Amino acid sequence: MTAERWVAAGLFAVAALMPVVVRDSFILDSLILILLWGALSSAWNVAGGYAGQVSLGHAAFFGIGAYAAALMSARYHHSPWLGLVAGVALSLVAGGAIGFLSNRLKGPYFALSTIAFAEVLKIIASRWRGFTSGSEGVPVPFRPGFWTMGLTHVQWVYLALAVAILYYLVQVYLERSRVGYQLAGVREDEDAAEALGIATRRLKVQAVTLSAALTSMCGSFWAQYVGFVDPIHVFSIDLSVRFALNSIIGGIGTALGPFLGSILITSLETYLRATFSGMKAGFGGIYLIIYGVVLILVVRFAPEGLTGIASRLGLAARKADAAA
Amino acid sequence: MLQLDSVTKRFGGLTAVRNVSLEVRAGELLGIIGPNGAGKTTLFNVISGFYRPEEGRVVFEGRDVTGEPAHAIARLGLTRTFQIVKPFGNLSVSDNVMIGALSRVASTREARAEAKQVIARCGLAPHAHARAKALPIALRKRLEVARALATRPRLLLLDEVMAGLNPSELTGIIELIRRLHAEGVTLIVIEHIMAAMMRLAQRIVMLHHGEKLAEGAPAEISRDRRVIDAYLGEEFNLAQA
Repeated sequence: MTAERWVAAGLFAVAALMPVVVRDSFILDSLILILLWGALSSAWNVAGGYAGQVSLGHAAFFGIGAYAAALMSARYHHSPWLGLVAGVALSLVAGGAIGFLSNRLKGPYFALSTIAFAEVLKIIASRWRGFTSGSEGVPVPFRPGFWTMGLTHVQWVYLALAVAILYYLVQVYLERSRVGYQLAGVREDEDAAEALGIATRRLKVQAVTLSAALTSMCGSFWAQYVGFVDPIHVFSIDLSVRFALNSIIGGIGTALGPFLGSILITSLETYLRATFSGMKAGFGGIYLIIYGVVLILVVRFAPEGLTGIASRLGLAARKADAAA
Repeated sequence: MLQLDSVTKRFGGLTAVRNVSLEVRAGELLGIIGPNGAGKTTLFNVISGFYRPEEGRVVFEGRDVTGEPAHAIARLGLTRTFQIVKPFGNLSVSDNVMIGALSRVASTREARAEAKQVIARCGLAPHAHARAKALPIALRKRLEVARALATRPRLLLLDEVMAGLNPSELTGIIELIRRLHAEGVTLIVIEHIMAAMMRLAQRIVMLHHGEKLAEGAPAEISRDRRVIDAYLGEEFNLAQA
């Protein structure tokens, strides 16, 4: 097992033990968000990191999942789990369509088209009042129980942890399997991959579709956990950027990266918000400035992300060992 | 093994390849020469499925593959290298070659083992763990060949794998090509270096302005008036080669 796998196993173990030791709901809430954001960024990483299809519109799939679960429980009084399944089905279709687009559009043009897709869904969700309640949003009723996803904080920790581990394993698979190597080839050079017998177009569509379905699933969980869905937030570009940012800061195209990014960004944001929101009116937004500075520093000094720093340190240590 | 039947490829008003027919027999080593812009690489792109020709047919081992996608053609056993090398830059040499092997074998372990053999065969063993983009050009050209070989092609198209190499590197890659040919791989080689071509090819096709100008054994080609006028510029002395 590589160092990265050990770190991941350690982090997941700490998360699993946390509810045993800590009863503070603020800390448990932060933990749940770290795990969910990490899983969401992992889902993004499948397309953006492993297949090289950098999307800035993944909020589209997040929103589809969130609305599907929320409407299913609030409007139709069915289990949000059914909504989750419906959301995944819709996202498979939408992801396939977006993935197909990526065959024609590359790099920034693909990213722009994904932004547009999320914006279109935002407008539809805002205007289709009869179905989505428009921009007022949908409050999700809390009905205790597993089938209704009315869980306690501790239960949410374990659900989010299970999802996070599942998504981590999906990424590990994408690193070590045949299809993973082929994706790496497609990401590095499409023509060369094609000449080696790889069906590059189909593979890209499949990666984006899988990424969309995984994102949608987390969107459903998020809606049930937070208890409220509105179009301005769930389809926002802020969300899309954040999925990408966690991965980039943590280490794009690595299984651990999205989780490291999530730990840094989520805890930083939570801490800064808690610290500065109590201050006088004019200072309310100062946490955004500090947040921005940290981002710039990480991107400037660790362009390969946190896992990049770690592997550089590891390499240096090995060299020192060899020299000694 | 391969037949081209009056193949024409146009880009807007420009005809890059015009009405080219040729045949390659199994086990042959065919050379393609011609000045810059003669249509050599375009012809490779048509054969390997990267371009769809406007007219004509490409038949590989009795099967019409005209217009089929490149990856499908590669799986049939026809692959190519790129004139401007296209390594998977951030991956190791070993991973690069392994991805080639994975076009046939499903198991990564098996592919890794095969890649190791191919890497040794191509003289890349000391660099197996280096990042592809860190290699000097001569080794990147070798990598290009190694990766294509890992797919176990029956017909391999080599697009200027000798360009930019120094004399000793050149000798190395010529030996490699000879060995592949001896092992039974059919080859079509595009090259500018006439001396090397004269030593390697069994038959040479000369392209000029997208058309096939001449075809024949190296000795005949080097004496062909049209080839001399269009390309060699002066009578090519075989003794020099």
